[in-house]
Amino acid sequence: MKNSIMGIIYTGERDQQLRELTTVRAVAAVPLCSRYRLIDFPLSSMVDSGIRNVGVIMQRNYNSLMDHLGSGKEWDLHGKHTGLQILPPFTTNENVGLYAGFLDAIRSNLNYLRRSKEKYTVITDTHMLYTTRFDDMAAAHEASGADITLLYTRDPGVRRNGGGRYLSMDENGVVTQLEVDPASPRLDATYMEAFMMEREKLIEMVDTAVSRGQYHLTRDVLMQAISTRSFKVVGFECTGKVWHLDSVQAYFECNMDLLSPETRAALFPADRPILTKLRDEMPTRYFPGATVKNSLLADGCVIEGTVENCVLFRGVRIAKGAVVRNSIIMQDGVVSEGAELDNCILDKQTLVRPNSRLIAPRSYPIVIAKQMTV
Amino acid sequence: MLRKKRCVAMLLAGGQGSRLGILTKSMAKPAVPYGGKYRIIDFPLSNCANSGIDVVGVLTQYRPLELNAYIANGSTWDLDVNDGGVFVLPPYQTGASGEWYSGTANAIYQNLAFITQYNPDYVLILSGDHIYKMDYDAMLQHHISHNADVTIAVRQVPWEECHRFGIMNTDSEGNIIEFEEKPKQPKSNNASMGVYIFSWDKLRKYLIDDENDPNSANDFGKNIIPTMLRDGQRMTAYSFNDYWKDVGTIESLWEANMDLLDPVPQIDLHDKQFRVYGRNLGLPAQYIAESAKIDNCLITDGCEVYGSVTHSILSSGVRVDEGAVVIDSVIMPGAHIHSGAVVRRAIVAENAEICGGTVVGEETGNIAVIGIGVTVPEGTTIKAGQQYEG
Repeated sequence: MKNSIMGIIYTGERDQQLRELTTVRAVAAVPLCSRYRLIDFPLSSMVDSGIRNVGVIMQRNYNSLMDHLGSGKEWDLHGKHTGLQILPPFTTNENVGLYAGFLDAIRSNLNYLRRSKEKYTVITDTHMLYTTRFDDMAAAHEASGADITLLYTRDPGVRRNGGGRYLSMDENGVVTQLEVDPASPRLDATYMEAFMMEREKLIEMVDTAVSRGQYHLTRDVLMQAISTRSFKVVGFECTGKVWHLDSVQAYFECNMDLLSPETRAALFPADRPILTKLRDEMPTRYFPGATVKNSLLADGCVIEGTVENCVLFRGVRIAKGAVVRNSIIMQDGVVSEGAELDNCILDKQTLVRPNSRLIAPRSYPIVIAKQMTV
Repeated sequence: MLRKKRCVAMLLAGGQGSRLGILTKSMAKPAVPYGGKYRIIDFPLSNCANSGIDVVGVLTQYRPLELNAYIANGSTWDLDVNDGGVFVLPPYQTGASGEWYSGTANAIYQNLAFITQYNPDYVLILSGDHIYKMDYDAMLQHHISHNADVTIAVRQVPWEECHRFGIMNTDSEGNIIEFEEKPKQPKSNNASMGVYIFSWDKLRKYLIDDENDPNSANDFGKNIIPTMLRDGQRMTAYSFNDYWKDVGTIESLWEANMDLLDPVPQIDLHDKQFRVYGRNLGLPAQYIAESAKIDNCLITDGCEVYGSVTHSILSSGVRVDEGAVVIDSVIMPGAHIHSGAVVRRAIVAENAEICGGTVVGEETGNIAVIGIGVTVPEGTTIKAGQQYEG
């Protein structure tokens, strides 16, 4: 199966749900778990699965995503002929800049798909956090003789009332029903908005759909295909832990979940690192008098105060007498002397002035936008 | 011919570093870990990167595997450039002859062809024995403005330590007028740091002459520098008085690590204007558990701490179990301290495993050392100053 799969990561949709966290960046670029961005997980899973050709479709706010991905070097995707292909929107007679939907985005990049040589294409969205083996998915896809294989999970944590895509399968794994944004989900598996097809079939499917004015993959194409059986659609289960990052609360709880060593082990495969952009930071300094309990910290932090149940990113400084609990503090955040934080999310480079108090209920964490001073 | 370079650096990394005992049993000294996420060689290489020098030859002949793998294509230091880079230069056969590097000068002599490719104006000679941040370009400007043939970096050392160094006596303008190797009665306390800038034509001539001298030890300190001084070449001292620490012995390596735990360390590794680069292993963030007690430490990515750690350095991927105690120690990458073990005033080398009920090191006395990949079985006691290899 060497070099038989290519990957596409679609980073374009539904950016508003994470509020302040996504006003300056795409969901794919949202920082999490001390030193990663969301896209590191699908990208690392793809690289782990032997995928050497990855296209990243960008839409809005992709500056920080571009900065993060660079040449793709950290993921060994800086090859001479294959590697990382950044696919930003561009304006032509047919393209007006904003994609009408996922299928429109793929159509805009059909040339890239035609130029690629791999037999299979796996396409993922970036609202779910998980790690999986796409090479196993390709093997299952081939064995089942499916036209389309959908990645799904039975993790109950990702089910939502009024949102999400759910599916049910027959005893052979063939998808028989698909529901979109139900008031309350009826079907037992959650579709993770990642699927695999033969590259040639994908091109054909997108061409046909777009010529009919269909831009929405799930509603216009998949639901049709499943009900009319025009395509054989099967499911492939992602057995690891999955998070759906569709709200600030979900984002917050996901980070807090990862404080548990067992949960972390379920997301980070022991023998396969999650790769990310590097920053040459020195180790984290814990001064005398600092108290740290049940927290994740990246390198480059300086801790003089109290930190409990927190996720701190690179270069965070917690001054003497500051008390930070149940909070997420992104890169280069500074919490000054005597400040007190509980249930807060501080975006990058925020400054909390001395003796400020930011206390929120767990169900509604305070979000401080990037580069703000409190 | 490659594109001409103004200055090429040659890093002498061939020594075994036998004073580091079991730590250098399977790797050359410059590859020894330091400060949680660095290796000694990160310092001279980062200095080069920060000084605008992008051709570095690394001369190596002792257990080079670890060093080769670590240097790889030089991208760690942003030295993976089209017309330069980091080159590992082992001794090689030429026709019927070929020999090991017999001294520091001979090592450079055997690589004259490497330097000639770049036709540089200046050659910077470095060693891989020290922890320091230095702008070599400032030293090069000094060399140029003094119209010197050789510039030697010097620093003031305590008078009582002069007998360990090569001492440079200078006139009022900083010209070197006398060189004393390890003097008992020093006239000054300006010690050579082993960092030299030579004008290339002069270096070339003196290396060839030195090679032709059968009585020479082919050493910069013993032969090249004294000969050039005798010949009246223009030699200036460039004084450097920032942090500079020899890490050639177990005790000094331990001390240099502990220096990072000072309230305000003399070497600033946070400085974004002069970054020290190191190979990053891509490990997840460090996790400090509910049961952990951390006091005055440096802890690195990938660590999982459940026990008590005081005044110590934990390198990448170290695990300290609940009920384990680490005090005044340097724990190198991947080591695992099990519950019930007590480690104090020790260096625990990479991937070592300290089982429960073990006592490593003592509250006072010399530093205890646990070798690379060694498992210390339950109930063992390792005394101060002992080196344990299993």
